[in-house]
Amino acid sequence: MVTAMIDSKQAAEALAEIDDIVQRVRQSRLYELASLAAIWWGVLVFAGNLVTWAWPLYAGYAWIAVDVVGVAGLVALRVFNPPHHAYGAAFDIRLLLVFVLFFAFGYLCTSVIGQFGPRQQGTFWPLYFMLFYMLAGLWFGTAFVAIGLVITALTLIGFFYIGAAFPLWMAFVNGGGLILGGLWMRRI
Amino acid sequence: MAELDDIIHQPLRLKIMAALNALPVASGLEFARLKKLTGATDGNLGAHIETLAKAGYVSVDKAFVGKKPQTTVTATAAGRGAFARHVATLQEIIAGKQV
Repeated sequence: MVTAMIDSKQAAEALAEIDDIVQRVRQSRLYELASLAAIWWGVLVFAGNLVTWAWPLYAGYAWIAVDVVGVAGLVALRVFNPPHHAYGAAFDIRLLLVFVLFFAFGYLCTSVIGQFGPRQQGTFWPLYFMLFYMLAGLWFGTAFVAIGLVITALTLIGFFYIGAAFPLWMAFVNGGGLILGGLWMRRI
Repeated sequence: MAELDDIIHQPLRLKIMAALNALPVASGLEFARLKKLTGATDGNLGAHIETLAKAGYVSVDKAFVGKKPQTTVTATAAGRGAFARHVATLQEIIAGKQV
């Protein structure tokens, strides 16, 4: 067997190649987990909007259930997929705190500062959620930005142009959009 | 003085080992995912995985998911060790400790 001999430039190129592939693997794993989360939320949001459209009286209960089950699912996803480094805890309490702050600020805007009706609520929450999705995308991958932009645009179209069927529109746009976005992330 | 690992040094095998080494221990990558990550063709990737498997650096598991065959490649402990030594040697070369 002949032992390879290389100079420092070739060694640097090999290390750069390794860095590049490691980044791609991390991105791929991130998209894999994010796709599960998106599909999970997509199914729940689809159901929430469907209940809002078919049985408006139960919409409030439906959305509380969607939020609780949705966050529980994300926490479970994180617990079963701990970060790949020695110092990573199995569960990071900050994740839960992020959701508490997220919902608290949303509630403050929609129910304390403003008195949003069902249509405004149905528009605000997806836009608010997608804003964070797009901001996260600036660090974690352009797929998040693309999904966020499409759902934001379709939500605004629904708000301005779709009548009484707005919750049904949102079931497909927000719920369906997240499911399709999640499936798309798996193929990137 | 450490030496470069001739098996890992080949560019595509280096990519394969780098990708597998970036995963948690005992986690593997499906053949199709590995193909996408490395940009290799089916035949080329298969041949290099076989070389790595013969050296004991990776394990190859073939299973059926539904009716579709699925091949998963995982870095072994020996493979992870060899890769870490290879990277250390590359760093030494850059630092000027070796030529």
